[in-house]
Amino acid sequence: MVDNTEALTTQKEPYPLLAASGLCKSFGGIKAVDNAEIQVAQGTITGLIGPNGAGKTTFFNLLSNFIRPDKGRVIFDGEPIQNLRSHKITQMGMVRTFQVARVLSRLSVMENMLLGAQKQTGENFWRVWLQAKLVKREERQLRERAMEVLESVGLASKAQDYAGALSGGQRKLLEMGRALMTNPKLILLDEPAAGVNPTLIREICDRIVLWNQQGMTFLIIEHNMDVIMSLCSRVWVLAEGHNLAVGTPAEIQNNPQVLEAYLGQ
Amino acid sequence: MVNYLVFLAISVAIFALFSLGLNLQWGYTGLINFGHVAFMTVGAYTTVLLSSQGIPVVMAVVIGAALAALLGLFIGFSTLRLREDYLAIVTIGVSEVIRLVALNEEKLTRGAFGVQDFPLPLANITPNLPARLVMIGLLTLIAGLALWRMWRWIWKREWATGYLDKALRSRPTISSIILGILSSLFGVTIYFVGALALYDYSYKAGLMLLSLIVLAVVIWALEKLVRSPWGRVLKAIREDEQIPRALGKNVFWYKMQAFMLGGAIAGVAGAFYAWQLTTVYPSNFETLVTFNAWIIVVLGGAGNNAGTLLGAVIFWAYDALTRFMLPAIVQSTVVHSIFPAIELLNDERQGAFRIMVIGLILILLMVWRPQGILGKKEELTLGR
Repeated sequence: MVDNTEALTTQKEPYPLLAASGLCKSFGGIKAVDNAEIQVAQGTITGLIGPNGAGKTTFFNLLSNFIRPDKGRVIFDGEPIQNLRSHKITQMGMVRTFQVARVLSRLSVMENMLLGAQKQTGENFWRVWLQAKLVKREERQLRERAMEVLESVGLASKAQDYAGALSGGQRKLLEMGRALMTNPKLILLDEPAAGVNPTLIREICDRIVLWNQQGMTFLIIEHNMDVIMSLCSRVWVLAEGHNLAVGTPAEIQNNPQVLEAYLGQ
Repeated sequence: MVNYLVFLAISVAIFALFSLGLNLQWGYTGLINFGHVAFMTVGAYTTVLLSSQGIPVVMAVVIGAALAALLGLFIGFSTLRLREDYLAIVTIGVSEVIRLVALNEEKLTRGAFGVQDFPLPLANITPNLPARLVMIGLLTLIAGLALWRMWRWIWKREWATGYLDKALRSRPTISSIILGILSSLFGVTIYFVGALALYDYSYKAGLMLLSLIVLAVVIWALEKLVRSPWGRVLKAIREDEQIPRALGKNVFWYKMQAFMLGGAIAGVAGAFYAWQLTTVYPSNFETLVTFNAWIIVVLGGAGNNAGTLLGAVIFWAYDALTRFMLPAIVQSTVVHSIFPAIELLNDERQGAFRIMVIGLILILLMVWRPQGILGKKEELTLGR
């Protein structure tokens, strides 16, 4: 245990895009996240794994400030963000998805996508009136871009359907596409493969690799080890709210402590 | 008869305006506002008190709407960060507080004595023939636009699908065409009555024209807003506010804007309400007024401006019909011979009975058409 913590601190990346340290969060008497840290290097796909109840999703909520941490620092793109409100964090270029895919059921798939775009002129009450032409032009451009993204996630034919009519797997894809529409530097994916059929999982993985090659950084929570092994260059392990290990997927796979945390003694 | 129909037209316009504010807050943004009448009270009292101090009527209305929006800001700051049920509780409390202040601050509002003799718009004028023809022309324009919009909707089903593209447009159905013809006939009749009233100009006819113009402008503006990216954020907040939050939208501020704008619209409705009543008492602004707006919005279909307008028409048509038909039915000998117990429905009970039937209609509507008259059925069956 002691050896490992030392290992964590010595293996820092030179210029991490996202770096969190000393994050704590208690719910009543339960320490959901206890002094946890993470670093995500620019341009990588980083994995976050851990047994059920390890605090991974809470950790995501702390990073994106959906839940305010009790203690700790989060640095994104060189700036401390632990005190920023969630929407500001997204505006800076860090967007998150949800473990159970959330879609705007009574809006069309296209509208879901369009909502993702940042700095829209038409989202300002006065500018809807004062710059009507610009709003219209922007909307047309955004629609084209949304259509391209929808095509890349295989939902182009569903663009005009209600998002509530999509299946679970399609919702995951829509959520990813919507996150992509924000033009982020870093995407936090919470179990992108959960409840998705194997063919679709492979498709999702291919998309992630493609987007990563285009320069996007990913941090992924996932239980499916194949996904983690095939995508991630670096994996962080969380157990009972604190860091257990970090390393390449191969190292993690053979780490006796990780195996113990997953399988019990 | 003409006078009564003019009264009905003004009432429809006022309550449609009032309910459109609620529809923006609840139908589009999901904010549960059980104290909507508070905005109306502030708008009405501000307008009449300022204009009796000599401030021009138009400016008084603008200030009234602004103060109503300010009240929205005040309520919003204290509750919009909390879960939505708290907003419901606080708004119902605020509306009572406002009414009680109006009742007891006698120096300001003259309390239960009410405010009388305040300036009314278009009241002390006797327009010559060309002016009256211009007024009739304006009325024609509004009626024509309304009919055109309605038929376009029936033909293309455009309003029903909103933002969606052509693919989802369905063909007009026989029943919608029949309903369209019926409502066109109804609309044209009302239009002729209105034109007649404007020709024999009276204050109420002028007020009718003014309220219809304001209503038309507000509906046009709201339709443009809810179809804009701004409106998209509001709808997203209604569906699940964590999503717009995760996508970088300042959810709190958007809720606030919707709440304030809805309040300002209700404030304008309040000014017209005062002008229609010509005397303003605190008892005009009881909690029931809020729930009339809720009836109208639910009846027409939440999140649908045309539905809200239709809801207001039905609400007042029901009110007018039962006001005259119920006594006639009770007194008719035929009904007496078949159903003697109807004698129990005396004058006092009839009023309560009419409201009871509204409740019954709402219950039946919720069973058969929970989405409201113009709501979309498909939306209800969607998985969350």
